[in-house]
Amino acid sequence: MTTDNSVMFQASSLNRRNEKVQGLYRILFGLMTLMLVTPVLLILGTLVAKGGGVISWEFLFTPPTDGMRTGGVLPALIGTVWLVMTALLLSVPIGIFAAIYLSEYAGDNWFTRTINLAIINLAGVPSIVHALFGLGAFVLFFGFGTSILAASLTLAVMTMPVVIVSTRESLQAVPQAFREACWNMGATRWQTIRRVVLPNSVTGILTGVILEVSRTAGETAPIMFTGAVFFTPFLPQSVLDQTMALSLHLFVAATQVPGIAEEVPYGIALVLIGLVLTMNSASIAFRMWLRGKKKW
Amino acid sequence: MTAAPAAALLQPAPEYAIDTKKLNLWYGTFQALYDVDLRIRQGMITSMIGPSGCGKSTYLRSVNRINERLGYVRIEGSIDVMGQNIYDPGVELIQVRKQVGMVFQRPNPLPISIRDNILFSHRLHAKGGGDVHQGTPDEIVEESLRTVLLWDKVKDRLKRKATELSLEEQQKLCIARLLPVKPKLLLMDEPCSALDPKGTEAVEELLWELRGQYTILIVTHNMAQARRASDECIFMLMGKVVEHAPTEEMFVTPTHKETSDYIEGRYG
Repeated sequence: MTTDNSVMFQASSLNRRNEKVQGLYRILFGLMTLMLVTPVLLILGTLVAKGGGVISWEFLFTPPTDGMRTGGVLPALIGTVWLVMTALLLSVPIGIFAAIYLSEYAGDNWFTRTINLAIINLAGVPSIVHALFGLGAFVLFFGFGTSILAASLTLAVMTMPVVIVSTRESLQAVPQAFREACWNMGATRWQTIRRVVLPNSVTGILTGVILEVSRTAGETAPIMFTGAVFFTPFLPQSVLDQTMALSLHLFVAATQVPGIAEEVPYGIALVLIGLVLTMNSASIAFRMWLRGKKKW
Repeated sequence: MTAAPAAALLQPAPEYAIDTKKLNLWYGTFQALYDVDLRIRQGMITSMIGPSGCGKSTYLRSVNRINERLGYVRIEGSIDVMGQNIYDPGVELIQVRKQVGMVFQRPNPLPISIRDNILFSHRLHAKGGGDVHQGTPDEIVEESLRTVLLWDKVKDRLKRKATELSLEEQQKLCIARLLPVKPKLLLMDEPCSALDPKGTEAVEELLWELRGQYTILIVTHNMAQARRASDECIFMLMGKVVEHAPTEEMFVTPTHKETSDYIEGRYG
Protein backbone atom coordinates (compact mmCIF):
# COMPACT_ATOMS: atom_id res chain seq x y z
CA MET A 1 0.00 0.00 0.00
CA THR A 2 1.40 3.37 -0.91
CA THR A 3 0.50 6.75 0.56
CA ASP A 4 -0.12 9.66 -1.75
CA ASN A 5 2.55 12.05 -0.56
CA SER A 6 1.51 14.78 -2.96
CA VAL A 7 -1.40 15.88 -0.74
CA MET A 8 0.48 15.63 2.54
CA PHE A 9 1.16 19.37 2.86
CA GLN A 10 -1.95 20.63 1.10
CA ALA A 11 -4.72 22.42 2.98
CA SER A 12 -7.45 20.09 4.18
CA SER A 13 -11.08 21.21 4.29
CA LEU A 14 -10.71 21.68 8.02
CA ASN A 15 -7.71 23.99 7.50
CA ARG A 16 -9.68 26.04 5.01
CA ARG A 17 -12.64 26.39 7.36
CA ASN A 18 -10.42 27.43 10.28
CA GLU A 19 -8.73 29.94 8.02
CA LYS A 20 -12.14 31.44 7.08
CA VAL A 21 -13.27 31.66 10.72
CA GLN A 22 -10.03 33.28 11.71
CA GLY A 23 -10.43 35.83 8.91
CA LEU A 24 -13.96 36.68 10.06
CA TYR A 25 -12.84 37.35 13.63
CA ARG A 26 -10.06 39.52 12.39
CA ILE A 27 -12.53 41.65 10.46
CA LEU A 28 -14.87 41.80 13.46
CA PHE A 29 -12.16 43.03 15.82
CA GLY A 30 -10.96 45.54 13.24
CA LEU A 31 -14.49 46.93 12.81
CA MET A 32 -14.89 47.32 16.57
CA THR A 33 -11.67 49.29 16.74
CA LEU A 34 -12.89 51.49 13.90
CA MET A 35 -16.20 52.08 15.72
CA LEU A 36 -14.21 53.13 18.75
CA VAL A 37 -12.20 55.71 16.85
CA THR A 38 -15.06 57.07 14.70
CA PRO A 39 -16.85 59.12 17.42
CA VAL A 40 -13.60 60.70 18.49
CA LEU A 41 -12.80 61.75 14.94
CA LEU A 42 -16.36 62.87 14.30
CA ILE A 43 -16.45 65.00 17.44
CA LEU A 44 -13.12 66.64 16.74
CA GLY A 45 -13.98 67.08 13.07
CA THR A 46 -17.37 68.67 13.77
CA LEU A 47 -15.92 70.98 16.39
CA VAL A 48 -13.14 72.18 14.16
CA ALA A 49 -15.44 72.53 11.14
CA LYS A 50 -18.21 74.42 12.94
CA GLY A 51 -16.31 76.18 15.70
CA GLY A 52 -12.90 76.71 14.17
CA GLY A 53 -14.10 79.92 12.53
CA VAL A 54 -14.77 81.79 15.75
CA ILE A 55 -11.43 80.96 17.35
CA SER A 56 -9.24 84.03 17.42
CA TRP A 57 -7.02 85.82 19.92
CA GLU A 58 -9.94 88.09 20.57
CA PHE A 59 -12.24 85.12 21.32
CA LEU A 60 -9.71 83.74 23.80
CA PHE A 61 -8.79 86.98 25.51
CA THR A 62 -11.96 89.06 25.89
CA PRO A 63 -14.95 88.57 28.16
CA PRO A 64 -18.38 87.79 26.68
CA THR A 65 -20.50 90.78 25.70
CA ASP A 66 -24.10 91.44 24.71
CA GLY A 67 -25.66 88.80 27.02
CA MET A 68 -22.94 86.31 26.01
CA ARG A 69 -23.97 86.44 22.36
CA THR A 70 -20.72 88.02 21.29
CA GLY A 71 -17.27 88.55 22.72
CA GLY A 72 -14.92 85.87 24.03
CA VAL A 73 -14.45 83.29 26.75
CA LEU A 74 -11.64 84.73 28.84
CA PRO A 75 -13.30 84.59 32.30
CA ALA A 76 -14.43 81.02 31.68
CA LEU A 77 -11.03 79.94 30.40
CA ILE A 78 -9.19 81.48 33.34
CA GLY A 79 -11.84 80.15 35.74
CA THR A 80 -11.40 76.59 34.52
CA VAL A 81 -7.63 76.85 34.93
CA TRP A 82 -8.15 78.10 38.51
CA LEU A 83 -10.58 75.29 39.29
CA VAL A 84 -8.40 72.54 37.83
CA MET A 85 -5.20 73.77 39.46
CA THR A 86 -6.77 74.26 42.88
CA ALA A 87 -8.44 70.85 42.70
CA LEU A 88 -5.13 69.24 41.72
CA LEU A 89 -3.28 70.99 44.55
CA LEU A 90 -5.83 69.57 46.98
CA SER A 91 -6.36 66.07 45.64
CA VAL A 92 -2.95 65.02 44.30
CA PRO A 93 -0.93 65.20 47.55
CA ILE A 94 -3.70 63.64 49.62
CA GLY A 95 -4.38 60.98 47.01
CA ILE A 96 -0.71 60.05 46.59
CA PHE A 97 -0.03 59.94 50.33
CA ALA A 98 -3.10 57.82 50.92
CA ALA A 99 -2.08 55.46 48.13
CA ILE A 100 1.42 55.14 49.58
CA TYR A 101 -0.08 54.27 52.95
CA LEU A 102 -2.43 51.70 51.45
CA SER A 103 0.21 50.12 49.24
CA GLU A 104 3.33 50.27 51.41
CA TYR A 105 2.27 50.44 55.05
CA ALA A 106 -1.22 49.02 55.58
CA GLY A 107 -1.46 45.31 56.20
CA ASP A 108 -3.98 43.11 54.44
CA ASN A 109 -6.82 43.11 56.95
CA TRP A 110 -10.54 43.86 57.07
CA PHE A 111 -9.88 47.54 57.78
CA THR A 112 -7.74 48.03 54.68
CA ARG A 113 -10.19 46.05 52.59
CA THR A 114 -13.03 48.24 53.81
CA ILE A 115 -11.10 51.38 52.88
CA ASN A 116 -10.34 49.98 49.43
CA LEU A 117 -13.99 49.14 48.92
CA ALA A 118 -14.97 52.65 50.01
CA ILE A 119 -12.54 54.20 47.52
CA ILE A 120 -13.90 52.12 44.65
CA ASN A 121 -17.45 53.08 45.61
CA LEU A 122 -16.50 56.73 45.90
CA ALA A 123 -15.23 56.55 42.33
CA GLY A 124 -18.64 55.28 41.25
CA VAL A 125 -20.72 58.02 42.87
CA PRO A 126 -22.50 60.15 40.19
CA SER A 127 -21.12 63.67 39.88
CA ILE A 128 -24.46 65.32 40.69
CA VAL A 129 -24.38 63.59 44.08
CA HIS A 130 -20.90 64.99 44.65
CA ALA A 131 -22.30 68.37 43.68
CA LEU A 132 -24.99 68.23 46.35
CA PHE A 133 -22.46 66.95 48.88
CA GLY A 134 -20.16 69.84 48.02
CA LEU A 135 -23.01 72.31 48.38
CA GLY A 136 -23.92 70.93 51.79
CA ALA A 137 -20.42 70.41 53.13
CA PHE A 138 -18.19 73.11 51.67
CA VAL A 139 -20.56 75.91 50.65
CA LEU A 140 -22.91 75.78 53.64
CA PHE A 141 -21.37 73.82 56.53
CA PHE A 142 -17.80 75.08 56.24
CA GLY A 143 -19.09 78.45 55.05
CA PHE A 144 -16.82 78.85 52.02
CA GLY A 145 -19.83 80.13 50.08
CA THR A 146 -20.03 79.59 46.34
CA SER A 147 -16.36 80.00 45.57
CA ILE A 148 -13.49 78.45 43.67
CA LEU A 149 -12.40 76.86 46.94
CA ALA A 150 -15.72 75.09 47.50
CA ALA A 151 -15.94 73.99 43.85
CA SER A 152 -12.34 72.75 43.80
CA LEU A 153 -12.83 70.85 47.03
CA THR A 154 -15.86 69.16 45.49
CA LEU A 155 -13.88 68.31 42.37
CA ALA A 156 -11.01 67.06 44.53
CA VAL A 157 -13.24 64.72 46.50
CA MET A 158 -14.67 63.43 43.28
CA THR A 159 -11.37 62.76 41.54
CA MET A 160 -9.31 61.61 44.52
CA PRO A 161 -10.32 57.94 44.11
CA VAL A 162 -8.87 57.99 40.58
CA VAL A 163 -5.57 59.33 41.88
CA ILE A 164 -5.48 56.80 44.73
CA VAL A 165 -6.29 53.80 42.56
CA SER A 166 -3.87 54.69 39.76
CA THR A 167 -1.08 55.62 42.20
CA ARG A 168 -1.56 52.42 44.14
CA GLU A 169 -1.38 50.41 40.94
CA SER A 170 1.85 52.03 39.82
CA LEU A 171 3.35 51.46 43.28
CA GLN A 172 2.36 47.81 43.18
CA ALA A 173 3.96 47.49 39.76
CA VAL A 174 7.38 48.03 41.37
CA PRO A 175 8.81 44.52 41.82
CA GLN A 176 8.69 43.20 45.37
CA ALA A 177 12.32 42.06 44.98
CA PHE A 178 13.45 45.72 45.02
CA ARG A 179 11.75 46.28 48.35
CA GLU A 180 13.15 43.08 49.82
CA ALA A 181 16.63 44.03 48.71
CA CYS A 182 16.28 47.33 50.58
CA TRP A 183 14.76 45.86 53.72
CA ASN A 184 17.51 43.27 53.84
CA MET A 185 20.11 45.99 53.89
CA GLY A 186 18.38 47.59 56.86
CA ALA A 187 16.43 50.30 55.07
CA THR A 188 13.31 51.54 56.80
CA ARG A 189 10.04 51.54 54.92
CA TRP A 190 10.30 55.25 54.25
CA GLN A 191 13.87 54.94 52.95
CA THR A 192 12.70 52.13 50.70
CA ILE A 193 9.79 54.21 49.40
CA ARG A 194 11.87 57.35 48.95
CA ARG A 195 14.86 55.78 47.24
CA VAL A 196 13.42 52.90 45.29
CA VAL A 197 9.64 52.68 45.10
CA LEU A 198 8.78 56.28 44.19
CA PRO A 199 11.53 56.81 41.60
CA ASN A 200 10.31 53.69 39.84
CA SER A 201 6.63 54.56 39.89
CA VAL A 202 6.58 58.31 39.35
CA THR A 203 5.71 58.09 35.65
CA GLY A 204 2.75 55.84 36.37
CA ILE A 205 1.57 58.17 39.12
CA LEU A 206 1.72 61.12 36.73
CA THR A 207 -0.41 59.22 34.23
CA GLY A 208 -3.13 59.05 36.87
CA VAL A 209 -2.81 62.78 37.45
CA ILE A 210 -3.11 63.47 33.72
CA LEU A 211 -6.33 61.48 33.60
CA GLU A 212 -7.61 63.54 36.47
CA VAL A 213 -6.85 66.84 34.73
CA SER A 214 -9.07 65.95 31.77
CA ARG A 215 -11.88 64.82 33.99
CA THR A 216 -11.73 67.82 36.29
CA ALA A 217 -11.71 70.35 33.46
CA GLY A 218 -14.80 68.86 31.86
CA GLU A 219 -17.00 68.39 34.91
CA THR A 220 -20.05 70.65 35.07
CA ALA A 221 -22.44 69.34 37.69
CA PRO A 222 -20.11 69.50 40.72
CA ILE A 223 -19.21 73.14 40.11
CA MET A 224 -22.54 74.67 39.14
CA PHE A 225 -23.87 74.70 42.74
CA THR A 226 -20.55 75.28 44.44
CA GLY A 227 -18.54 77.95 42.69
CA ALA A 228 -19.23 78.49 39.00
CA VAL A 229 -21.60 81.20 37.86
CA PHE A 230 -23.46 81.81 34.59
CA PHE A 231 -21.80 85.09 33.95
CA THR A 232 -19.30 87.46 35.45
CA PRO A 233 -17.10 89.83 33.50
CA PHE A 234 -14.46 89.73 36.26
CA LEU A 235 -11.53 87.39 36.55
CA PRO A 236 -11.13 85.62 39.89
CA GLN A 237 -8.69 87.31 42.29
CA SER A 238 -8.58 84.59 44.95
CA VAL A 239 -9.97 81.14 45.68
CA LEU A 240 -12.82 82.73 47.59
CA ASP A 241 -14.21 84.38 44.44
CA GLN A 242 -16.88 82.96 42.20
CA THR A 243 -15.89 82.31 38.64
CA MET A 244 -17.09 81.31 35.22
CA ALA A 245 -15.98 77.95 33.89
CA LEU A 246 -15.75 76.65 30.33
CA SER A 247 -17.89 73.59 30.93
CA LEU A 248 -20.74 75.52 32.49
CA HIS A 249 -20.32 78.34 29.97
CA LEU A 250 -20.70 75.80 27.17
CA PHE A 251 -23.87 74.42 28.76
CA VAL A 252 -25.30 77.93 29.17
CA ALA A 253 -24.34 79.06 25.68
CA ALA A 254 -25.79 75.94 24.11
CA THR A 255 -29.10 75.90 25.97
CA GLN A 256 -29.87 79.18 27.77
CA VAL A 257 -28.92 82.02 25.43
CA PRO A 258 -31.47 82.84 22.76
CA GLY A 259 -30.21 84.22 19.49
CA ILE A 260 -26.59 83.17 19.94
CA ALA A 261 -24.64 82.43 16.77
CA GLU A 262 -24.51 78.67 16.15
CA GLU A 263 -20.75 78.50 15.98
CA VAL A 264 -20.12 80.06 19.40
CA PRO A 265 -20.90 76.92 21.49
CA TYR A 266 -18.75 74.89 19.11
CA GLY A 267 -15.96 77.36 19.59
CA ILE A 268 -16.29 77.13 23.38
CA ALA A 269 -16.15 73.33 23.20
CA LEU A 270 -13.06 73.57 21.03
CA VAL A 271 -11.38 75.85 23.56
CA LEU A 272 -12.25 73.41 26.37
CA ILE A 273 -10.80 70.45 24.49
CA GLY A 274 -7.78 72.50 23.49
CA LEU A 275 -7.19 73.44 27.12
CA VAL A 276 -7.38 69.81 28.27
CA LEU A 277 -5.03 68.72 25.50
CA THR A 278 -2.59 71.48 26.36
CA MET A 279 -2.58 70.55 30.04
CA ASN A 280 -2.17 66.86 29.15
CA SER A 281 0.70 67.62 26.80
CA ALA A 282 2.40 69.64 29.51
CA SER A 283 2.10 66.73 31.96
CA ILE A 284 3.32 64.27 29.34
CA ALA A 285 6.30 66.50 28.62
CA PHE A 286 6.99 66.71 32.35
CA ARG A 287 6.76 62.93 32.59
CA MET A 288 9.22 62.47 29.75
CA TRP A 289 11.56 64.99 31.31
CA LEU A 290 11.45 63.04 34.57
CA ARG A 291 12.11 59.79 32.76
CA GLY A 292 15.10 61.30 31.04
CA LYS A 293 16.40 62.78 34.27
CA LYS A 294 16.23 59.48 36.10
CA LYS A 295 19.69 58.02 36.14
CA TRP A 296 18.42 54.53 35.48
CA MET B 1 38.50 22.90 44.62
CA THR B 2 38.69 20.97 47.85
CA ALA B 3 37.03 21.29 51.21
CA ALA B 4 38.84 23.00 54.04
CA PRO B 5 41.78 21.24 55.57
CA ALA B 6 40.68 19.19 58.55
CA ALA B 7 43.07 21.01 60.85
CA ALA B 8 41.05 24.18 60.49
CA LEU B 9 38.03 22.40 61.90
CA LEU B 10 39.90 21.18 64.95
CA GLN B 11 41.26 24.46 66.18
CA PRO B 12 40.99 24.81 69.94
CA ALA B 13 38.23 26.90 71.54
CA PRO B 14 36.01 27.16 68.48
CA GLU B 15 34.08 30.36 68.18
CA TYR B 16 30.54 30.32 66.99
CA ALA B 17 29.07 33.07 64.87
CA ILE B 18 25.58 31.69 65.36
CA ASP B 19 24.40 29.80 68.41
CA THR B 20 20.83 28.60 68.06
CA LYS B 21 19.03 27.14 71.03
CA LYS B 22 15.75 25.23 70.88
CA LEU B 23 14.42 27.18 67.94
CA ASN B 24 10.80 26.37 67.13
CA LEU B 25 8.98 28.20 64.38
CA TRP B 26 5.39 28.13 63.24
CA TYR B 27 3.75 29.51 60.10
CA GLY B 28 0.27 29.93 61.53
CA THR B 29 -0.49 26.46 62.88
CA PHE B 30 2.11 24.68 60.76
CA GLN B 31 5.32 24.02 62.60
CA ALA B 32 8.27 24.46 60.27
CA LEU B 33 11.18 24.08 62.72
CA TYR B 34 11.43 21.67 65.66
CA ASP B 35 13.93 22.28 68.47
CA VAL B 36 16.72 23.37 66.17
CA ASP B 37 20.06 23.56 67.98
CA LEU B 38 22.79 24.75 65.66
CA ARG B 39 26.20 26.28 66.20
CA ILE B 40 27.76 27.80 63.14
CA ARG B 41 31.52 28.24 63.26
CA GLN B 42 32.91 31.67 62.79
CA GLY B 43 34.81 32.42 59.63
CA MET B 44 33.77 29.24 57.90
CA ILE B 45 31.38 28.21 55.21
CA THR B 46 28.54 26.06 56.42
CA SER B 47 26.12 24.58 53.93
CA MET B 48 22.58 23.44 54.59
CA ILE B 49 21.06 20.68 52.54
CA GLY B 50 17.81 18.76 52.63
CA PRO B 51 14.71 18.18 50.52
CA SER B 52 12.33 21.04 49.68
CA GLY B 53 10.27 22.10 52.66
CA CYS B 54 12.71 20.72 55.23
CA GLY B 55 13.09 24.12 56.90
CA LYS B 56 16.56 25.10 55.76
CA SER B 57 15.46 28.33 54.12
CA THR B 58 13.16 29.05 57.05
CA TYR B 59 16.10 28.71 59.42
CA LEU B 60 18.24 30.94 57.24
CA ARG B 61 15.53 33.58 57.14
CA SER B 62 15.16 33.60 60.90
CA VAL B 63 18.83 34.51 61.30
CA ASN B 64 18.20 38.02 59.94
CA ARG B 65 14.57 38.09 61.07
CA ILE B 66 13.19 38.54 57.58
CA ASN B 67 10.53 35.92 58.33
CA GLU B 68 8.77 38.32 60.65
CA ARG B 69 7.52 40.32 57.73
CA LEU B 70 4.91 37.62 57.32
CA GLY B 71 2.61 38.48 60.19
CA TYR B 72 1.65 34.89 60.99
CA VAL B 73 5.09 33.65 62.02
CA ARG B 74 5.65 32.66 65.66
CA ILE B 75 9.08 31.89 67.07
CA GLU B 76 10.31 30.30 70.29
CA GLY B 77 13.90 29.77 71.37
CA SER B 78 16.89 31.97 70.70
CA ILE B 79 19.46 32.73 68.04
CA ASP B 80 22.66 34.30 69.31
CA VAL B 81 24.61 36.09 66.61
CA MET B 82 28.12 36.92 67.83
CA GLY B 83 26.94 36.20 71.36
CA GLN B 84 23.85 38.38 71.34
CA ASN B 85 20.32 37.00 71.07
CA ILE B 86 18.77 38.75 68.09
CA TYR B 87 15.28 37.99 69.40
CA ASP B 88 15.85 39.98 72.61
CA PRO B 89 13.26 42.74 72.98
CA GLY B 90 15.86 45.52 72.96
CA VAL B 91 17.39 44.47 69.65
CA GLU B 92 17.11 46.95 66.77
CA LEU B 93 16.02 45.17 63.60
CA ILE B 94 17.90 47.62 61.39
CA GLN B 95 21.16 46.68 63.15
CA VAL B 96 20.44 42.96 62.73
CA ARG B 97 19.95 43.48 59.01
CA LYS B 98 23.19 45.47 58.84
CA GLN B 99 25.23 42.78 60.62
CA VAL B 100 23.60 39.85 58.85
CA GLY B 101 23.61 40.28 55.08
CA MET B 102 21.46 38.15 52.85
CA VAL B 103 21.82 37.01 49.25
CA PHE B 104 18.84 35.57 47.41
CA GLN B 105 18.16 32.91 44.87
CA ARG B 106 17.47 35.42 42.16
CA PRO B 107 19.98 38.26 42.06
CA ASN B 108 18.10 41.39 43.09
CA PRO B 109 20.24 44.42 42.28
CA LEU B 110 18.34 47.68 42.56
CA PRO B 111 17.54 49.38 39.24
CA ILE B 112 20.16 52.06 39.86
CA SER B 113 23.79 52.30 38.81
CA ILE B 114 26.40 49.75 39.85
CA ARG B 115 28.08 52.38 41.97
CA ASP B 116 24.85 53.38 43.70
CA ASN B 117 24.06 49.76 44.43
CA ILE B 118 27.36 49.37 46.26
CA LEU B 119 26.87 52.59 48.18
CA PHE B 120 23.19 52.00 48.96
CA SER B 121 23.48 50.33 52.34
CA HIS B 122 26.54 52.39 53.23
CA ARG B 123 24.50 55.54 52.75
CA LEU B 124 21.77 54.07 54.94
CA HIS B 125 24.10 53.25 57.81
CA ALA B 126 27.11 55.56 57.56
CA LYS B 127 25.58 58.40 59.56
CA GLY B 128 24.44 56.11 62.36
CA GLY B 129 27.97 55.48 63.59
CA GLY B 130 28.94 51.88 64.27
CA ASP B 131 31.33 49.84 62.23
CA VAL B 132 31.15 50.79 58.57
CA HIS B 133 33.79 51.32 55.92
CA GLN B 134 35.42 54.69 56.55
CA GLY B 135 36.82 55.34 53.10
CA THR B 136 35.63 57.74 50.43
CA PRO B 137 32.79 56.53 48.20
CA ASP B 138 35.23 55.78 45.39
CA GLU B 139 37.43 53.69 47.67
CA ILE B 140 34.41 51.81 49.00
CA VAL B 141 33.16 51.00 45.52
CA GLU B 142 36.56 49.85 44.32
CA GLU B 143 37.35 47.77 47.38
CA SER B 144 33.96 46.08 47.48
CA LEU B 145 34.04 45.25 43.79
CA ARG B 146 37.63 44.01 44.05
CA THR B 147 36.62 41.72 46.90
CA VAL B 148 33.97 40.07 44.76
CA LEU B 149 36.34 39.84 41.78
CA LEU B 150 34.20 42.19 39.72
CA TRP B 151 36.27 45.38 39.64
CA ASP B 152 38.19 44.74 36.45
CA LYS B 153 35.04 43.82 34.57
CA VAL B 154 32.92 46.80 35.57
CA LYS B 155 35.33 49.60 36.50
CA ASP B 156 34.61 51.44 33.24
CA ARG B 157 30.84 51.28 33.56
CA LEU B 158 30.12 52.06 37.19
CA LYS B 159 27.44 54.53 36.11
CA ARG B 160 25.55 51.92 34.12
CA LYS B 161 22.43 50.28 35.42
CA ALA B 162 23.18 47.25 37.56
CA THR B 163 20.36 45.33 35.92
CA GLU B 164 22.30 45.32 32.65
CA LEU B 165 24.92 42.98 34.11
CA SER B 166 24.86 39.23 33.55
CA LEU B 167 23.17 37.16 36.24
CA GLU B 168 26.50 36.01 37.62
CA GLU B 169 27.78 39.58 37.83
CA GLN B 170 24.51 40.71 39.38
CA GLN B 171 24.80 38.06 42.07
CA LYS B 172 28.38 39.10 42.82
CA LEU B 173 27.23 42.70 42.98
CA CYS B 174 24.52 41.68 45.45
CA ILE B 175 27.26 40.20 47.63
CA ALA B 176 29.52 43.21 47.14
CA ARG B 177 26.90 45.74 48.21
CA LEU B 178 26.66 44.05 51.61
CA LEU B 179 30.34 44.50 52.39
CA PRO B 180 30.73 48.28 52.99
CA VAL B 181 28.73 48.08 56.23
CA LYS B 182 30.95 45.23 57.43
CA PRO B 183 28.44 42.48 58.17
CA LYS B 184 29.51 39.65 60.43
CA LEU B 185 27.47 37.05 58.65
CA LEU B 186 26.50 36.37 55.07
CA LEU B 187 23.39 34.28 54.52
CA MET B 188 22.90 32.85 51.06
CA ASP B 189 19.69 31.23 49.94
CA GLU B 190 20.57 29.05 46.94
CA PRO B 191 22.75 31.83 45.48
CA CYS B 192 23.68 29.85 42.40
CA SER B 193 20.40 28.28 41.36
CA ALA B 194 19.71 30.98 38.75
CA LEU B 195 23.26 30.78 37.35
CA ASP B 196 24.84 28.60 34.70
CA PRO B 197 27.68 26.21 35.64
CA LYS B 198 30.36 28.79 34.87
CA GLY B 199 28.63 31.44 36.98
CA THR B 200 28.19 28.89 39.75
CA GLU B 201 31.89 28.11 39.71
CA ALA B 202 32.75 31.79 39.83
CA VAL B 203 30.49 32.42 42.81
CA GLU B 204 31.85 29.38 44.65
CA GLU B 205 35.35 30.67 44.03
CA LEU B 206 34.25 33.97 45.54
CA LEU B 207 32.89 32.18 48.61
CA TRP B 208 36.35 30.78 49.26
CA GLU B 209 37.80 34.27 48.92
CA LEU B 210 35.39 35.63 51.51
CA ARG B 211 35.86 32.70 53.86
CA GLY B 212 37.70 33.63 57.04
CA GLN B 213 36.74 37.28 56.84
CA TYR B 214 33.04 36.47 56.93
CA THR B 215 31.00 33.62 58.29
CA ILE B 216 28.94 32.21 55.48
CA LEU B 217 25.82 30.11 55.77
CA ILE B 218 24.61 28.80 52.45
CA VAL B 219 21.44 26.88 51.61
CA THR B 220 21.75 24.75 48.53
CA HIS B 221 19.88 22.11 46.58
CA ASN B 222 23.05 21.15 44.85
CA MET B 223 24.73 18.37 46.76
CA ALA B 224 27.93 18.64 44.75
CA GLN B 225 28.08 22.31 45.61
CA ALA B 226 27.66 21.63 49.33
CA ARG B 227 30.47 19.14 49.07
CA ARG B 228 32.86 21.39 47.14
CA ALA B 229 32.09 24.68 48.74
CA SER B 230 31.68 24.23 52.48
CA ASP B 231 33.62 23.39 55.62
CA GLU B 232 30.70 22.01 57.52
CA CYS B 233 27.39 20.66 56.36
CA ILE B 234 23.98 20.48 57.97
CA PHE B 235 21.35 18.02 56.83
CA MET B 236 17.75 18.86 57.70
CA LEU B 237 14.58 16.86 57.28
CA MET B 238 10.99 17.72 58.20
CA GLY B 239 12.01 20.76 60.23
CA LYS B 240 14.63 18.96 62.29
CA VAL B 241 18.40 18.91 62.13
CA VAL B 242 19.39 15.31 61.35
CA GLU B 243 23.11 15.68 61.07
CA HIS B 244 25.71 18.42 61.39
CA ALA B 245 29.29 17.45 60.64
CA PRO B 246 32.39 18.49 58.75
CA THR B 247 31.40 18.30 55.09
CA GLU B 248 33.90 15.65 54.06
CA GLU B 249 32.83 13.46 56.97
CA MET B 250 29.16 13.78 56.19
CA PHE B 251 29.58 12.88 52.56
CA VAL B 252 31.97 9.99 53.19
CA THR B 253 30.62 8.49 56.40
CA PRO B 254 27.18 9.84 57.23
CA THR B 255 25.98 8.60 60.61
CA HIS B 256 22.26 8.61 59.84
CA LYS B 257 20.47 6.48 57.32
CA GLU B 258 18.30 9.44 56.18
CA THR B 259 21.44 11.42 55.41
CA SER B 260 23.05 8.72 53.33
CA ASP B 261 19.79 8.04 51.50
CA TYR B 262 19.44 11.71 50.65
CA ILE B 263 23.06 12.15 49.65
CA GLU B 264 22.85 9.14 47.39
CA GLY B 265 19.74 10.58 45.78
CA ARG B 266 17.19 8.03 46.97
CA TYR B 267 14.81 10.89 47.68
CA GLY B 268 14.97 14.62 47.38
